[in-house]
Amino acid sequence: MPKIKKSVLYEKHLELTDKSRLAAFAGYLMPLWYSSISDEHQAVRSAAGLFDCTHMGTWRVAGADAAEFIDLITTNRASQLAVGSAQYSYILNEAGEVLDDIIVYRRGDDDFMLVVNAANNDKIAAWLTEVPAILRQHNFTPAPDIRDLRDPKQTSDCRVDLAMQGPASEAILLSLADETVKQKIKQLEPFRFIETNVQGIDLIISRTGYTGAKVGYELFVHPDQTPRLWGLLLEKGGPLGLKPCGLGARDSLRIEAGLPLYGHELAGEYNISPFAAGYGWAVKLDKDFFIGRDRMRHESTTYKMAVQRLELPGERGVRPVRPGDAVLTNGGDCAGWVLSCAKAGKKQIALTWLARNKVKTNDSIGIYYTARNARHIQQGRKETVKKGEILDADIVGTIVERMEKF
Amino acid sequence: MIKEGLLYTEEHEWVSIDGETAVMGITDYAQEQLGEITFIELPTVGQKVKVHDEIGSIESSKAASDIYSPLVGEISDVNTELETQPELLNTDCYEAGWYCKLRVADENNTEDLMDASEYDEYLKGL
Repeated sequence: MPKIKKSVLYEKHLELTDKSRLAAFAGYLMPLWYSSISDEHQAVRSAAGLFDCTHMGTWRVAGADAAEFIDLITTNRASQLAVGSAQYSYILNEAGEVLDDIIVYRRGDDDFMLVVNAANNDKIAAWLTEVPAILRQHNFTPAPDIRDLRDPKQTSDCRVDLAMQGPASEAILLSLADETVKQKIKQLEPFRFIETNVQGIDLIISRTGYTGAKVGYELFVHPDQTPRLWGLLLEKGGPLGLKPCGLGARDSLRIEAGLPLYGHELAGEYNISPFAAGYGWAVKLDKDFFIGRDRMRHESTTYKMAVQRLELPGERGVRPVRPGDAVLTNGGDCAGWVLSCAKAGKKQIALTWLARNKVKTNDSIGIYYTARNARHIQQGRKETVKKGEILDADIVGTIVERMEKF
Repeated sequence: MIKEGLLYTEEHEWVSIDGETAVMGITDYAQEQLGEITFIELPTVGQKVKVHDEIGSIESSKAASDIYSPLVGEISDVNTELETQPELLNTDCYEAGWYCKLRVADENNTEDLMDASEYDEYLKGL
C-alpha cells in the first residue's frame, strides 16, 4: 500500500474539522465535510464554496510541437485554442476507452497545462511516457517537454488547484485584487483564464469548475502559497457567505449539475464513452488523427445507452437511491441503472445509464431499490436487476435535462 | 460525546436496561460518521431477536448502516417519530433519537457490552 499523502492544506483542514472527517481519496487524506454536505452544497448555490483540489494532477506540455502532441492524444482540438482559453477534452487509449477526462489550458503559443483527475494522475503520468512510441507507429514524432507541475524537482513554477465556486465568488476575488486585476476578473468569460498576481501571490484565475455554478473559478497557485491563499479567501469570503466545502458537497453539486465523474458516468463498469456521457461535442471526429478515433467514429453512430439525469423525491424519510438501483419505464420494465445519486434540497438527483430508445426527457420513470442487506434479500428483494425485467417501482420521478446551470 | 450509565456495542449502539425493558439507539460517534441521516428502517413490534441480529438500518445520503440487536429479547416498541424526523438521530441520539425498546429475556448476558469508559477507550483505538 502506498503511503497516504497529505494535502498541502492538511493543517488548515484540521483547524476546521475533526481528524475523523478526513478520508483517503485518490491517495490523499481529504475532508468529507466541514459543517454538513447539505449546508456546504447550499452555500455554493446561494453564496460560495471553497474546495481543496490540490490532489488533482497538473501537467505542463511545452515546446514547438506541444499543440500537435495534445491534438494527437486528446479528442478535442487544442491547436485552435486561443492563449488564455481552456477546453474540456478526453484522453483515450488505442481501443478508444477513456483514460481520463481533462481540461486543457493554453498558457502560451507553445505552453499548455493539462489538469487531470486525482484518481487517474498516476495512470496519465505513465501514459504520457508510453504514448510517443504509439504515435511513432503512426508516423507522428512530436517531442514536447512534459513536466509534473506539482513536483518541485521538475519545475520552480509549481501549480495546484483550489476551486471557489458560486455567485459570491467574483466579489470575493475582487475584494483581494487591485484595480487593474479587478477589471480583468470582471471581464473573464467561462473557460477563459488570466495569469496575474493577487496579494503577492502568483495566480492563474480560471473561470472553470465542477459544480454547475454559472460563476466559479479555479485558482492555480504554488503549493507553498496555497495555505496563505486559502486563509485569505476564507477571511475575506466568510462575511459574504463563503464556506469551505469537502468531497461530499463536491460530489452532490456535480451530480445535481449533471457533470460526469470518471469511473461512474465515464468509463467504469459500463465502459461509458464521451458520446454516451453527453459530450460528443468534445470529440472532433474530423481531425486527421487522434488515439482512439476509429472507435469513436463507430461509437458516435451506434451507442444504445446514454447517461440521463433524473429528479426524484428526497424529503427526509425517503430511502436514498443508490448506484445499481433499477430504473423502470412507465410499463415497469428495467431500462437501466443508477450510476450516482445525491440529495439536493428536498429532491434527489440521480445520474443513470438508460436505453436511449426506451425513455426521453420529461418521461416519468420509477426506481426499484435493490437489496441493501441480508434482511432485504430474505424478504425477496433482488440484489441486481437485468434490463427488461418487469418490477414495481418503489418511488417515481422524472427524466430532466441532461445538464443544469445554477 | 459518550453518555455515562449506558452500555455500548462495537457497532456503536447504546443500550439502557431498566428491569425487563431495554432502550437502544446509536451513539454520537455513529451519527457523526453517517452525516445527515435521511432514512430509517425500524424493526417490527413483537419480533423476537438474538444478540447481533440485524434489526434495521439507518441511511444518510452517503452511507448506510445496519442496526444490530445488543440483547436477546422481543421488540416491544419502536420510535416511529424517526420515520418522519430521522434528523433526531443527529441532533439527540441518546434521548429523542432512541431507536427501539426490547423486552429482555432472562438469559441476557451484558458482559460483552462496554461501559462508557470502555467504549471511550475503544473509540480511541479506531
